[in-house]
Amino acid sequence: MRDPWCVELVRIGAVLPVMLRVLREDLAGVLAHPVWIAPEHVDPAPAFDPSRQQYLVSALMETLLAKPREAGVFIIGVTDVDLFLPVFTHVFGTAQLGGPVGVASEYRLRPEHSGDPSDAGLLRRRLLKEVLHELGHTLGLVHCKASWCAMSPSRLPEQIDLKDAAFCSACAKHTGVPDNSLVSIHSWEGEKK
Amino acid sequence: MTARSPRLLIVDDELHVRESLSAWFTEDGYDVSTASGGKEALAVLGRQKFDVVITDIRMPGMDGIELQRHIHETEPEIAIILVTAYASVSTAVEALKEGAYDYLVKPFDPEEMSRVVEKACEKVHLREENVSLKERINGSRPEMIVGTSRAMQRVLDLVDSVAPTEATVLIRGESGTGKELVARQIHARGPRSFGPMVAVNCGALPEGVLESELFGHEKGSFTGATALRKGKLELADGGTLFLDEIGEISPRVQVDLLRALEDKKIIRVGGTQEVPVDFRVVCATNRDLEEAIREGSFREDLYYRINVFQINLPPLRERPEDILPIAEHFLKKFAHSMGRRVEKFSPEARDLLLKYPWPGNVRELANAVERALVVCHEGEILPKYLPIIARSTSAAFGGPSDDLSLQAIEHQHILKVLEMSEFNVTHAAKSLGIDRVTLYNKMRKYSIERP
Repeated sequence: MRDPWCVELVRIGAVLPVMLRVLREDLAGVLAHPVWIAPEHVDPAPAFDPSRQQYLVSALMETLLAKPREAGVFIIGVTDVDLFLPVFTHVFGTAQLGGPVGVASEYRLRPEHSGDPSDAGLLRRRLLKEVLHELGHTLGLVHCKASWCAMSPSRLPEQIDLKDAAFCSACAKHTGVPDNSLVSIHSWEGEKK
Repeated sequence: MTARSPRLLIVDDELHVRESLSAWFTEDGYDVSTASGGKEALAVLGRQKFDVVITDIRMPGMDGIELQRHIHETEPEIAIILVTAYASVSTAVEALKEGAYDYLVKPFDPEEMSRVVEKACEKVHLREENVSLKERINGSRPEMIVGTSRAMQRVLDLVDSVAPTEATVLIRGESGTGKELVARQIHARGPRSFGPMVAVNCGALPEGVLESELFGHEKGSFTGATALRKGKLELADGGTLFLDEIGEISPRVQVDLLRALEDKKIIRVGGTQEVPVDFRVVCATNRDLEEAIREGSFREDLYYRINVFQINLPPLRERPEDILPIAEHFLKKFAHSMGRRVEKFSPEARDLLLKYPWPGNVRELANAVERALVVCHEGEILPKYLPIIARSTSAAFGGPSDDLSLQAIEHQHILKVLEMSEFNVTHAAKSLGIDRVTLYNKMRKYSIERP
């Protein structure tokens, strides 16, 4: 049985505070574990790479790791800036596998980034799934073969839309999260109507 | 792809590249190793088998193109993906000409990178599957099950229903009834027929050996473990694991086996890393497992895990109508392999075969036919070539017994005739030359009940 754990969301950059509050509520609903927003704000400027015009995600992770942290607290940074790792053109987010820290960005999840009209509801759902995905990695989960599971890999924002905002039964069991897989499908379908 | 995680070797002189790619592909479920240069990569490749190598082209010492040449000399089946920060068409063309699977330029688009590696693994897997298919076509098809009796037809019906599923099967039956043959049929007609069928006789090995045989061992885990060895559970990955004489395994191995069956993961003897395994389980036993549970020698939880679907193989004496077809099948088979022209049994030999109770079941029948064929000089098998059977059947008709009273013989004879007629009382009474009422009275007298 896993020890009790909780999630701390850290605002990085100019992501809207209301976005973070909605995300906190959504996450708490899915996880049934405490989720709160850290009072401090992280400035991503030191992680900026002028040659790539992007932010180095590993530098942001180091900033979060330097924060004082209690055992059982998983820290997920949420940002609006475009993230990269030197070997990759971009990443939606990243996390330490089985470690305490992860980062997710809404930058490439915005529908307008792919040329679609702006859609706040869609962005909210994508960000929730991406944060859930990175949190899953910090909880020790690798990518899942179940295409509907939040832990299934997504390389494109449209692939995120195909997933549920929930872990499949196996991933939920591993992390000690309630098995919401069916509830989640119904709630999203209800929202679409 | 099989359930085994594809193995990836990342070769790059830059630590941050190795770390980023390693973390990325580990999250994706790959089994990742890294090397900082060509020489180190070759050393790692010498210790472990890989599906795909991702290597930087420009590295100090041995470069990526040279590494590719070395790898292809010894392991041409490995897919190699070359990467570089310095994009140049000429290097790419050279790499592809020399057999690279693909070529990527840093920084990678995550989507493209994942797709290329996924496709490379798929290609390696397809090639392996192709080799295994060819091997299967070239031989190793399971022998067919011979038997026209109602009891055997029922067994074949059960095999038909359970084979296409993934269900765990427990085959029960006396020694020599053909439990492994049934297991092979289940595998051959199941969804994993293209995977391996790995059989382990759990009763034949002492506890320590069985443990290492099932779970494998790491190099140096005990004296004599000079190299890493995969266990049968790992070898059965993607296929079927057949555990014969499951009732004979020790309580300690039962615990380990139960854990492996439940978690689909194993830890090699002397190892610490969990290895995922994915196989279908078919078990067999001639032991009374329920009795073993009561005695405390067999775990109840393991029993419920393996006893999902049960097939009971009837002993040969309970299906005498199968004796001659099976004997003829073996006669044809052995005559063919020995290059002999013996095509049938004489009528007396056929009588003898039918009268013998076959305590060793089909295996004993096969041995008797093979032996008869070796010593036979005529065009047909005569009773004198079946000496063991001839002796026992003449000693006491109906099988070996210490009680030679007339009543005991009558009891045995009635039972045998009833069994031969599959408990059709009208037919049995006709064969015995008595009427049905008399037969019913005698059945009551000897407490013979329909099965």
